[in-house]
Amino acid sequence: MNCEEIADLMGGYLDGELDALTSQKIEQHLRDCNKCEEGFEADTALAHAITQSAPYYKATAELRQRIQSSLRDAVGAKDKDGSGQPGQPSVPRPQGERRPVVSQVPWNWLALAAAIILGALITAVFLPRMGAPNADQFLATQLIASHVRSLMANHLTDIPSSDQHTVKPWLDAKLDFAAPVPDLSSHGFPLIGGRLDYLDNRSVAALVYQKRKHFINLFIWPTTPKDNTAQTMVEREGYHLVHWSDGDFTYWAVSDVNINDLQSFKQLFEQQTVRH
Amino acid sequence: MASVAEVNGFKNIMAATLEAEYAFDVEDLRSRTKVVKFAVVQRHEEEGAAQEHELASFEAMMLPCMDAAHNLARWLLRNEQDAQDVVQEAYLRAFRSFAGFRGSNGRAWLLTIVRNTAYTLLKKNRTADLTTAFDEEIHATDYKSVSPATILEHAEDAELIKNAMDGLPAEFREILILRHQENLSYNEIGDILKIPIGTVMSRLARARGKLKQYLAASVSQEK
Repeated sequence: MNCEEIADLMGGYLDGELDALTSQKIEQHLRDCNKCEEGFEADTALAHAITQSAPYYKATAELRQRIQSSLRDAVGAKDKDGSGQPGQPSVPRPQGERRPVVSQVPWNWLALAAAIILGALITAVFLPRMGAPNADQFLATQLIASHVRSLMANHLTDIPSSDQHTVKPWLDAKLDFAAPVPDLSSHGFPLIGGRLDYLDNRSVAALVYQKRKHFINLFIWPTTPKDNTAQTMVEREGYHLVHWSDGDFTYWAVSDVNINDLQSFKQLFEQQTVRH
Repeated sequence: MASVAEVNGFKNIMAATLEAEYAFDVEDLRSRTKVVKFAVVQRHEEEGAAQEHELASFEAMMLPCMDAAHNLARWLLRNEQDAQDVVQEAYLRAFRSFAGFRGSNGRAWLLTIVRNTAYTLLKKNRTADLTTAFDEEIHATDYKSVSPATILEHAEDAELIKNAMDGLPAEFREILILRHQENLSYNEIGDILKIPIGTVMSRLARARGKLKQYLAASVSQEK
């Protein structure tokens, strides 16, 4: 690749949007070409300045309140439109003038019946969303949550080390299984450390690898019959999840890197663990 | 001629007969009223519950995105009051069409609506910044000499960065904010701006280039 081609792709490289092969070519060129390297540094500094130095205008508490109450008003307005009786309160007031005419007892029974019907309705609406068919979805949600938490709570690793021979014994001692911990740093995925996590009602190993400025959380646990062994790829809320399993273990890799990087991470990991 | 007493007696008998005859109907009518009333109440409660439920899931998905929504609106409009109005309007619009929303990326969806609402206001106010604003001024300075060192040196000057950003045309401001502050992928940005991914990449490159020019211009003015 020449400098012009590099310049065209520089933005994509900076944003981590290129495929692994092209990224490698650019990395190679940047090592060799001072001019492009300088340009890349300037763009990185610029991106950093927008992220860090330019103001981020958060919504004020008043705005939050204003919007929430306007949403409630919108619900009220909708309700009235649906009733077909403008001007009437949407639900009759309990202290209405007819109250003394109508005897108390049937109303209570009717209210009870209404409550039962409502309960059934709500159950019918909610239950399917929590049902078993979405076990994978639920797991994906847990995985993303765990990934986000690890980055947010400043608790990325329990054992920060780039040395596989430090991380592996530490995890082995804490868990009832011995997860593979390959060294992938020569392929652009340095090991950052390991962590204990709790997912799907069991303790799991979480390995943390890095790709440029992105972190990859790799969750590992021994495969059980209820685990789905088919390879899957999920994209949710901007995160990519890649799932695979070998004879012994089930793996879920979660990250915000692009899907190609995550796929090549998975392939590398598989190659390395087969050799061991 | 019948006496007054007789007439009164007759009236009373008639009234009693009438009452007896219609008693059942009156009772029936009352119970019907009750049934109708119950049906109305029940319908309202069902509708109310469904709407409460809809509002709850809308809020769960969208309220966490309010900072992002406000940030984008504030950068686009460069005015706090307008930004707040646009965000509020966008939330109401989003809620009205929430029933039809099937995607999983609520943030990108909301930002699309915020952006459309902001542009409506920008066009109404005929703000001149939909196109490039200070181009001539910039062309006068020798911006090509902006070195990485200069940018590194000024990268933490918040005031400088903000002014340079504010000087950019709206289409450059928004794409830089979406990429570098909201950390969205090209794919998501393409969805929001309704442009192909290739255009996202080239527009970002132009936006960065322009921002570097502006920075260089204001740095050289300072000196």
